[in-house]
Order: sequence, then structure tokens, then C-alpha cells
Amino acid sequence: MSMELGFWAPVVVAGALAGASTGMLGVYIIGMRIPFLGVCVSHAALAGAVFGSLAGLTGQALLVPALVAALATALALGLADPRRMRADVNVVMGLLFTLTMGLAFLGVGLFPRFGRSASEAFGLLWGSLTFCSWRDVALMGPMTAVEIGFVLLFYKEMRAVMFSREHAAAAGVRVTLVWTGFLILASIVLTVNFKIVGGLMIYSLMANPAAAAFQLVRGHGRALLLAVALGTVSGVGGFLIALVAELPTGATIVILSSALVGAAALAARVGRAFRAAGGR
Amino acid sequence: MTAESVIDVRETRVRAGGRTILAVDGLSVAATEFVAVIGPNGAGKSTLLKTLVGIQRAAGTVRVLGRAVGNLTAGGLARLRRQIGYVPQVLAERSELPLTLREVVAIGRTGIAGLGRRLRRDDWRRVDEWLERLGLARLAGQAYSNLSGGEQRKGLIAKAMVQGPDLLLLDEPTANLDLAWRERIVETLESLFRDVPVTVLLVCHDLEVIPACCGRLVLLEDGAVAADGRPADVLTSDRVARLYGTHLELLHRRGRYIVVPQGNETP
Repeated sequence: MSMELGFWAPVVVAGALAGASTGMLGVYIIGMRIPFLGVCVSHAALAGAVFGSLAGLTGQALLVPALVAALATALALGLADPRRMRADVNVVMGLLFTLTMGLAFLGVGLFPRFGRSASEAFGLLWGSLTFCSWRDVALMGPMTAVEIGFVLLFYKEMRAVMFSREHAAAAGVRVTLVWTGFLILASIVLTVNFKIVGGLMIYSLMANPAAAAFQLVRGHGRALLLAVALGTVSGVGGFLIALVAELPTGATIVILSSALVGAAALAARVGRAFRAAGGR
Repeated sequence: MTAESVIDVRETRVRAGGRTILAVDGLSVAATEFVAVIGPNGAGKSTLLKTLVGIQRAAGTVRVLGRAVGNLTAGGLARLRRQIGYVPQVLAERSELPLTLREVVAIGRTGIAGLGRRLRRDDWRRVDEWLERLGLARLAGQAYSNLSGGEQRKGLIAKAMVQGPDLLLLDEPTANLDLAWRERIVETLESLFRDVPVTVLLVCHDLEVIPACCGRLVLLEDGAVAADGRPADVLTSDRVARLYGTHLELLHRRGRYIVVPQGNETP
């Protein structure tokens, strides 16, 4: 049992960190209506990892080109002026997404020339929570700490940017600085999580805890705390359910976090009906 | 530019989509003036406001509060904007936004408090004070996205006023509001101008929303200043007929303007 505990302990901690870090990020990503950011950054990271692999890198070293590609994409997004380009930020993300996906597939297409299988390429980036080790946790822990530090330092600026970049800029907030910083942070958090715990789970943990929190509470701080809590519950709870019921871990976490959104929507509706009845 | 000018625009041109959308040869606004900018759709009214806050780049001279907007660095522009209360046109509805009205109003203090610093007690006192002054105190803890269009608009005015601005720029603050809310906003602007020493530039479509305290009208047509002066001098019957059609009559009652359709009088 103690050996089993020792085996699963890093997985539980990684699940909690993945849920907390992506849940926190999700408040801003969903609040700003840019869920496409996750897809965009992950494919940029995949392209980076593919070309890193072709260059001979292996294991954790692949994180370096993946992060470089994700950061370059995030910076391109941060520096692009949607107004001057006459395109919404989601359209700009769509352009970058297709470009990075094209590059990734180009790299994958080159794999056989180097005597390797194409399926190997996708395994470069999309990890699995079940195989997380303390080494992975040692990477996720500091990353989550940096994320918390950024949010604490730029708490009020991020609140303004989440409301509207135009309104924030009009009030004299250094929007380009904060927005670019956020995109860099998002690309790091998403890439590390993709590499370690897998893509499917991260997409859901990015969107669902925030969506559930927005149903239940008002206010920036409360939404952040609840999203972090729900992300952690999804990551850890989903893993434990999967372990006991012998189900696939990622899928169970996704279903649990989706169920939490449904439960939150139901609770919010019941609460509104209760308040309306009390008001009569 | 006179010593008291808050806004001074000279030989300014903005081009977009291959055409000139703003061409102002001269426009000055003195401190504590209330100026309304009117004109048909596409006249360049919103572009003028965006040019003044540096969101829209322009060729020529644009000086606001003594600073040449085009020459400012990003930091300088941010510092200038902290002295300007700019209320852009209404936002698209976003039901998922978790912010309360009090938090949205506090955005007005965000730049002033400084990057990476927390809002101080005095900042929140100002926020609560303006919520109270504009009759929004009971809604402070409500989700901004759940408020009515009129309440949201008042909230955005409060956000601009907590900055303690020297200049207030309002871009159609009564657009899409019902008559009752339109009048509440007009009353709010009148009381603001009466009680606070601030220069106001109000962009509006409808002549009915020009408050009685407005001492000057600027008419923009095709991006250029077509008329500039006292409301009674600008709103001549010829000009109203040319702008809005001959079937309208402009009435002036207690400092406000009312446009009355005359209809087709032939049976």
C-alpha cells in the first residue's frame, strides 16, 4: 500500500497543480472570451517540439523548443493590433493556429525521412497524468508559483484587461505590457501542462472550472478562488474516481469538470428561483 | 492655441480604407467648456475622440492638456489618459464576465494607482463616493453584466469620473437607451458639469440629448468641421433641413432641443 501511495502521490499532486494552474488561467481566458488561445498555443508548442525532435532533442529537453514556439506565438498575438489589422483577436488566433498547425504537420511529414514513425510525433507533447513523476511536479510547482505571483502583482490590471482592453487603455493602464505578460504566462502554463498531463484534460480544466465559478459567484477574487478550487477538485477527484473505478484518467477528469459546470448552472438557477420566491 | 486650451487640433487628418475620415483644420476647446459634437453617421465624431486619446493615429497637430498626443511614448500616453475620462461606445454584452459594478468603476483608479500596486483605501473611497453620487450604490455588488443598459452606461461614467479627470470625453452615452434612461444620463451630465470643474466633449447623434448647459456645438460633416459656435447659431433651420430633411421642425424649450416630424400635411 505504501509503495502504491508513493507511486500515486506525484500523480495526485500533479493533478492538483494542473487543475489549480489552468483553472486560474481559465478565469481570464473565459472572461476575455478567448478559449481559442489554448488550441493556438498548444499547436505552436507541438510544432516547436516536432522540429526540436527532428533536431535531435529528446525527453524534457523538448520543452525548450515547444516553449520557444509557444512564446513566439503568444508574443505575436500580444504585438498584433487587431484594430489596425481590422480583425478580432480570435481571428488573429485562428490565423496563427492554422500556421502553427501547418508547420507541425510539415514537421510530422518529415519524420519518416529520419526513419521515425509519425505517431511518435504526437507523443512528444501530449503527456499523461497517470505517468507523472516527482520530476514533473518539480517543474509544475514553480510554474504555478510564478503564475500566482503574476496574478497577485497585476491583480487590478488583469481585472481591467479582462473587462475590456480598450477601456483599460483609456483609463491609462499599461495594457500592452500586462496583456503580453499574460500571454507569455499562458503559453508557459499551457505548454508545461500539455507536456506533462495531456491536452484533452488541459482544455477542459482551462474552461470548465472558470465557467462553473462564473455561474456561482460575483467578483474577480471570488471567481479566481472558486475556479482554482474547482480545478483542483476536478484534477484530484477525477483521478481518484478513475483509479477506484478503473477508468481512463483524462476522460474521467474531463467528465467530472463538465459535470461540475452542469451542477453549478443548476445551483445558480435554483438559487435565483429561491431568491425570486423569497422576494415575492 | 491659447493658454487655457484643453484641446487644440490643427491641420489633422486621419485616413482609413483609402479615404480621409477626419480632416479638422482647427478646433480648440477651452477649460471647463461643455462642447457637443454632432453630425450624421460616418461624420468622424468617434474618430475625433479616439484621436484625442491616442487610440487613433493622426497626421497633424493634436494637443490635449498641453501635450502633443502623437509625440508621446507609451508611458506618456498612459499618463495623459489618466487625466482624461473617456467613455467609449457601449460594450457588446458579455454574460460570462464575473466583475461587479464596483470593480468595473475601480478600473478608473487602476492606472492612477500605478503598475503592480494595490488600490488604496482612498481609491476605493472615491469609487464608493461616485457610485453614491450617481445613484448606483445599491448596485455596487451586482454583476456588471446583469445590469440594464442605462445602469451600465452610468457605471462607465462613474469609472471615468473616479479618475478625477480634467477632460471628459463621452461617445454617445445615451445610444440605445429608452427615454427615461436617456433623460437620467442627460441630468447626470448636467449635474456633473455644474458640480465638478471639468471640460466636457460630448459626441451625440440626437439633438435631444444636448444638455442645457452645453454652450457650444461643433458640427462635423464628412470628417470636417462644418459649423462651430453657440447652439442657436449652429442649429439654423437651413442646416437642420440639410442634415435631417425638410420634414422636421426644431423646437427649443428650456435650453433643450426637440426635433418634431412634420409629416405629410397633404390629405
